[in-house]
Amino acid sequence: MQPIDIKKDETKMNTKYLMLKNAGFPMITGCEEKPIIKNKELFEKYVKEQWIGMCVKKGDYLFDKYISPGFAFKAVIVEPENSIIDESTVILLEEEIVDEIDEEIEEDFKKEYRIKFSDVIGQKSAKSKCSVIKMFLQDPDKFGDWAPKNILFYGPSGTGKTMLAKALVSETNAEMVCINATSLIGGFVGEGSSNIHRLYDYAEKNAPCIIFIDEIDAIALDRRYQELRGDVSEIVNALITEMDGIKDRRGVCLIAATNLPNVLDNAIKNRFEEEIEFTLPNFSDRLEILKRYMKTYPIPFSDKINLKKFARYLEGYSGRDIVEKVLKVALHRALINDEKEVKEEHLISAFNDSEIIMKKKRNLPANNLYR
Amino acid sequence: MMGPQMGYDRAITVFSPDGRLFQVEYAREAVKRGTTAIGIKSSEGVVLLVDKRITSNLLIPESIEKIFKIDDHIAIATSGLVADSRVLVDRARLECQINKLTYDEPIRVEGLAKRISDHKQQYTQYGGVRPYGAALLIAGVDNNGARLFETDPSGALVEYLATAIGEGRDTVLKLLEEEIDPEKRISFEDSIFLGLKCLYNIAKDKLNAETIEIGYILIKDAIVRKMDPKDVREYVEKVKYLYKDEINKEDKE
Repeated sequence: MQPIDIKKDETKMNTKYLMLKNAGFPMITGCEEKPIIKNKELFEKYVKEQWIGMCVKKGDYLFDKYISPGFAFKAVIVEPENSIIDESTVILLEEEIVDEIDEEIEEDFKKEYRIKFSDVIGQKSAKSKCSVIKMFLQDPDKFGDWAPKNILFYGPSGTGKTMLAKALVSETNAEMVCINATSLIGGFVGEGSSNIHRLYDYAEKNAPCIIFIDEIDAIALDRRYQELRGDVSEIVNALITEMDGIKDRRGVCLIAATNLPNVLDNAIKNRFEEEIEFTLPNFSDRLEILKRYMKTYPIPFSDKINLKKFARYLEGYSGRDIVEKVLKVALHRALINDEKEVKEEHLISAFNDSEIIMKKKRNLPANNLYR
Repeated sequence: MMGPQMGYDRAITVFSPDGRLFQVEYAREAVKRGTTAIGIKSSEGVVLLVDKRITSNLLIPESIEKIFKIDDHIAIATSGLVADSRVLVDRARLECQINKLTYDEPIRVEGLAKRISDHKQQYTQYGGVRPYGAALLIAGVDNNGARLFETDPSGALVEYLATAIGEGRDTVLKLLEEEIDPEKRISFEDSIFLGLKCLYNIAKDKLNAETIEIGYILIKDAIVRKMDPKDVREYVEKVKYLYKDEINKEDKE
């Protein structure tokens, strides 16, 4: 890190181009601020002043000494190799460090899901709203001011809310940010609201864009819970100004999902143009779920199984309950017993065991208390 | 102290800011955990039907009562907390005897219903106690004819042509509204078929004649009677036969 005596190394050439890449801090204690380069020209002058006379080759780490001591840049390209930095060196940056904020948000999921709309069974009104959103994403100008803006999916757990969002991602290929509400909560005061504003900034920049916030009851609580959790008002206020406030976020559509619509703040609830209920599947839905998923079993299932009878028994079960608690357990039982196919007895035993869980879920107390 | 609505359900005697008594509403939820009881008036009297829902073979079915004889001419069907129901039934029986001693005549159905519901109301206003977690169907015959009343944990008292309490209340009420014409009175036979049809709708394939009890009071003699289990079985079989497709049709849609 010390400047090499120029007189000793007259054989070395001067660096023409030096491309830098952010390497970060060697150690993180949590209080470091990541440097953001706003003015490239100024930055170039600043680093050259520090590093002038240094001999650098590809792969070397160069440290900042003054503003963020210890922050390292990696020399990705040095042209010519093993040369000395001087006044004429051109400093290039591999990535746009200026907009580093977006990277964090991009981490939050532009994933590939293999789910299609047709995989979600039932929930007609939700699916028709999703078709509207699809239309909007394909031609946002057609909608203009009448674009879908804020939609709430609510209902018991396991009914397909998150699944439908995943299907929307796969089917639209448009910009979509899927976030769990808890990742918006910050550790510091003000971090929650600033996360929300950053999220909407990113979305607006990439419009038309859908933001999907799962389990929004983690952040959008009624403000009367402010005593229980200090950041409720702050986050809620940030949300309501973004959902429908002074700044018009053209092209941004928010879909929120929750199990508990009753604890949401009224100001937020009123901003949802539609609250779509996801219901537990009815008889024909349950039958469809059984048929659809049993087809994907790794081993065949016996045709003697009366699916209609099971569909009738499984009243009160959500889609996830049926697949995980009944079908999966039945399959595992068949596999453990070295069976070639899944038989009715496996389904029945899985169903009986799941009934015990479901009774607890339905919160039935001791039978002798109520009659 | 202003707080979340949780603060208003601690003491029964405290109203919430929007004028609700949460303890009473929660007591109503307790009633919904009880099994269904149905009461239907007919041209010949009034009938009470219950599904006892026996879950264990160790229980002695005859000892599980949901229809109680209160006096010669009045019967009560209960739903909700079993112990609360029992205490209310005892109280009702006591009231009947007090009335006989005081006025030398059997209590009127409406009078008894009012006394019971007044008693229940006290438990929603005076501090330290919780409301009764039980709803009652009070059915009887007096010189005003056949009467059917429903009381709930708040002490509210309503007279009905036909009603239900317990977990199947909403489903049964919907069905009763469709089937009953307020202008006409159905026959005694029809009222039994209708009541069993409602119970069938709730229990579906699990309907079991052994756990169903039917009590009735006819206008002609004003005596409380419980239907013989053999007859109950016959009616249940007939109902299953008649309505099997109709009940299962809803599933297929």
